[in-house]
Amino acid sequence: MGYVAVTAGEEIIERAEQLFEKRRVGGDSEALETDQLDEQLGRLTDQAMGEGGLYAPRLAALAVAQAQGDTVEAAFLLRAYRSTLERFEETAAVDPGEMIATRRVSPAFKDVPGGQILGATKDYTQRLLDFDGINAEDPTAGWDLDDEGDPERLTNVVELLREEGLLEDPEAPEVAAPSDTTRRSVTHPPGRDEVLQELARGETGAVTALGYSALRGYGRVHPTLAEVRVGRLPVRIEHPYTGEEVTVTRVGVTESEAVVPVYEKREDPQFAFGYGLTFGRNERKAIGMTVLDASIQLDGETEPAEDPEFVLDTIDGMDSFGFIEHLKLPHYVTFQSILDRIRSIRERSETPAETPPDGHESERGSENKDGTENESRREPRDGALGEADDDD
Amino acid sequence: MSDPHDRSDRFELIAACEPATLVGLANGVLEDDPALSVRQEPKPQLLMQRVEEPVERRPFNLGEVLVTPAEVELGDARGFAMIPGKSERAALSGAIVDAAVAAGHDLTPDVVEALAETEAETRERRRNEWAESKHTAVTFETMEGRE
Repeated sequence: MGYVAVTAGEEIIERAEQLFEKRRVGGDSEALETDQLDEQLGRLTDQAMGEGGLYAPRLAALAVAQAQGDTVEAAFLLRAYRSTLERFEETAAVDPGEMIATRRVSPAFKDVPGGQILGATKDYTQRLLDFDGINAEDPTAGWDLDDEGDPERLTNVVELLREEGLLEDPEAPEVAAPSDTTRRSVTHPPGRDEVLQELARGETGAVTALGYSALRGYGRVHPTLAEVRVGRLPVRIEHPYTGEEVTVTRVGVTESEAVVPVYEKREDPQFAFGYGLTFGRNERKAIGMTVLDASIQLDGETEPAEDPEFVLDTIDGMDSFGFIEHLKLPHYVTFQSILDRIRSIRERSETPAETPPDGHESERGSENKDGTENESRREPRDGALGEADDDD
Repeated sequence: MSDPHDRSDRFELIAACEPATLVGLANGVLEDDPALSVRQEPKPQLLMQRVEEPVERRPFNLGEVLVTPAEVELGDARGFAMIPGKSERAALSGAIVDAAVAAGHDLTPDVVEALAETEAETRERRRNEWAESKHTAVTFETMEGRE
């Protein structure tokens, strides 16, 4: 017993898929265009791109439409597509200070150079349903804008702290080329470059929840955000003819930096830092990533958010989505095995003649031991009998 | 100001140009049936975007960016273009346009004009976006002694 094919009829499975598709197109309203999704529900497409680890706004809109708004499913579609493509090359590492920001706020420094730019946000207004707002006109149409010239480079708060000596000026990292977790699985303990890459494409809810756990007391990090920025970063390659760095496009990103006081741990009171950066507009995730990056750097062993193995093993939406959702697929062999085992145990326990007269550990006891899951917490197991007996 | 006659500047302008504009320009170049060979078929590929984390200045991989590169040879001149997203026609057209300018094609003034317009529009869009953002700049004040 090990693998059992389940036949349900290809035609029936197609019908189920068609019925799923009908839920999207079968209503009375017009079908959504991908442009509409990209322009009007940009948070959805941004989330799908961030979790998919692929910046492709129009394809993200298509994926969101196809997934009927399920962002993890949309991210899965993007990852599946990217797995079919060749890589042209890795870009030069861009300095986030080059970001053309449309929003920058610093909760730490009220007089931050370049100013507090709220940008497009509803952070400071009431969250109330607006029953007329869905069809509203552009409320900025009447704005009388000053000519502010070309976008300015905003001074990074990190640089301010570095100038004051409040931030360690670390040595340049030994490895110039970062590890790529899309090509080489993470090994533990992970490098910080691996942690940042995995967090950047982590599932928003998971990143938020684990980051929140640290704030709720399951960790030692309660940071002050140095700044949160939303804007676009240049994507550069080396031109194959001229050898010069050229900009192909600019990608929308959200960045977050946090200061964490470490004066309790070191003789020289300074700040430690957490960093978050993700594709698209997703401040919640960027801040959660920042908290987790700072937490993981503490090398803690007892708090979930400080354990890189725990965080990276649970943060990826594709992994968790796949494992959680696969449970609804046929598990007939697994379940039948469990039933057989329980029935067998019950039968033996109800037969006095099979009980050893000396009262030593019964066969039932060893059965129970065999069935207990007490192995690596890292290996996802599927029922007491494990993967080998799974039938999906 | 970018110079459409400069190969690197032209690459950036073509990448930012509207696909329909590139296709129109390329069709114009191909009207008199020049010798054209495709050295690299336009097909979507990935760029891994690297970023330098600002505190440790440590590079890491943020994620991949979808682009469509293409390369052609038009007569004796080569052309290369890379368009953001999945955009095969625009990439091939961009490579043809790039090669046409390199070869001094008769339509070069039209290409230069179209790319200059692209740059002006891009700059105007950025300036307007920046002006909108600055319109929301705020000064926070601490209110000491007030509870």
